[in-house]
Amino acid sequence: MRKFRDGAAALLATIGLLAASAPPASAYEPVNIVHTERVQAGPYGLTVGFSTWPLKAMQSLDFTFIPDGGIADKSGTFATTNPETGRQGRPNPLTRHPRKLDVWGLDIRALDSQGDWKFRFVIDGPAGRGEGELSKLPVLEQPGPPMALSWSISVLPLAGLIGFLVVAWRRTRTRVAG
Amino acid sequence: MDLTVPPTGSVAATRSASRAWLPASGLLAGTLVTLVGLTWDVEWHDDVGPDTFFTLPHLFLYTGSAIAGLISLVVVLSTTAAQRAGRPVDEVVGGKAVGVFGRTFAAPVGYLIAGTGGALFLLYGLWDLWWHSLYGFDAVIDSPPHIGLLLSVMVTMVGTVMVFAAARDHRWGVFGTLASIAVLLSFSSVTVLGLSAVDTEISPVTIGMTFLSVLLVVLGRGFFGRPGGALGAAVLLSAWQAFSWWFSPWAAHAYASAVGLPLRDNVDDVASMPSLMPACLIGAALLAELVLWVSGRNGSAPRWAGALSGAVAGFVIAGAQPFQDTWLYDVRLAGAGEILATAGVGAVFGLLGGFLGWRFGGMLRLLAPRRDKETV
Repeated sequence: MRKFRDGAAALLATIGLLAASAPPASAYEPVNIVHTERVQAGPYGLTVGFSTWPLKAMQSLDFTFIPDGGIADKSGTFATTNPETGRQGRPNPLTRHPRKLDVWGLDIRALDSQGDWKFRFVIDGPAGRGEGELSKLPVLEQPGPPMALSWSISVLPLAGLIGFLVVAWRRTRTRVAG
Repeated sequence: MDLTVPPTGSVAATRSASRAWLPASGLLAGTLVTLVGLTWDVEWHDDVGPDTFFTLPHLFLYTGSAIAGLISLVVVLSTTAAQRAGRPVDEVVGGKAVGVFGRTFAAPVGYLIAGTGGALFLLYGLWDLWWHSLYGFDAVIDSPPHIGLLLSVMVTMVGTVMVFAAARDHRWGVFGTLASIAVLLSFSSVTVLGLSAVDTEISPVTIGMTFLSVLLVVLGRGFFGRPGGALGAAVLLSAWQAFSWWFSPWAAHAYASAVGLPLRDNVDDVASMPSLMPACLIGAALLAELVLWVSGRNGSAPRWAGALSGAVAGFVIAGAQPFQDTWLYDVRLAGAGEILATAGVGAVFGLLGGFLGWRFGGMLRLLAPRRDKETV
């Protein structure tokens, strides 16, 4: 019994220590911009920042969109054009970066195909409405294995489950009337 | 995998049967913890954002799978020990014991499937870790390793359904089967998002969700063997849907506040995961029950009845989805032609889902001991 109590106390102490050290372990990364591009959206100058450069398809990063003079008196939307489909996506409102609240941005977002992406901005502010785009944002080939191989590996549990059901189906054929 | 015939009928077997609810409940609890973790995690990414490996929702996800995996391992090892010692192995504990690796282990088939899912979860977890080292924390649900992880959990959940089905002579076995079907269906709703990569005119996610919903509610009815199984599974799923509609935003926001992170701008009041599930499932299940009841009035339902009930339920579920999207997201309602086309494709996949669900329900019934001559 005493041994059990000692064990439980040690376990609780370990959990306590883990919990106490958890905040630094779970601290969120600061937004670290390593490359910027300039966009002119009507009367507004805009700095577009990237936390990784050069960009690679499917690799996630932080984007920041900083209008000259700050975001306080402005609003706007942002739309991307995927080079693979050539279609412009639905415009989304420019919102604050969740880990850098004084600027607009996207957190840990990936661009999922290689080629020249297009970012289109519409900004409303004290000088009226302005539109502009970053017309050629080069995104290199995706690293890692080809997607077909990755997906093949990923659906193995499903294939196994289907295989099991087929075997079970055959073995129960005479006993299930349905 | 060799089928072995366990000895039957003794005091020891009765004792093991009377305690069979214990590991089964643990397994269900494990899958529920995983489901809570996933629902919370999806909401966290939508409403708050940043990801690290050690978030609380992630901890729930991993802990649930660990619980389910360890319980399965313990049951397999104790069954192996019992069989080696010549003690009887009761099939109420997870179904018939099968030989694994020659006959090194004797594993009740339900726990074997559940445990295999747990082991696969570990492997896909490692692959996910490598994936993140290559691509960063992309926080998308439909990356290949994420879908592999989710499918592994689904395998565990299928095993859980089988474990409870083996005890269908007990009230806890029937309730547990319907509850674990509801857990499996809730969890699968996210896996269906993997279909969004398929480029078709009619939403593949809607059709995938329709197929799975029909398959699992008709499976509930096929397993139950009398009216009520489809409705029971649908009611339990809808209860979870209602609970998680409240819970997941609350948990995501409370956790954000506890770790000092703000909510994203423009957070809407739509809970992400519950809104993926059909809101009309109880109505669709009632219709399926009705079709099966009418078909089987003069005896057991004919073999095509499951498929027909599935087609009716599939038509309703897929046809209602555009209305659900408009209601929840304030988007423009699709045209009548598009809604009818979606409902029609839903009926075709519902037909297949109903056919399979009815048959799988019959197979599930066979997991329970001493009923193997019965038909549904």
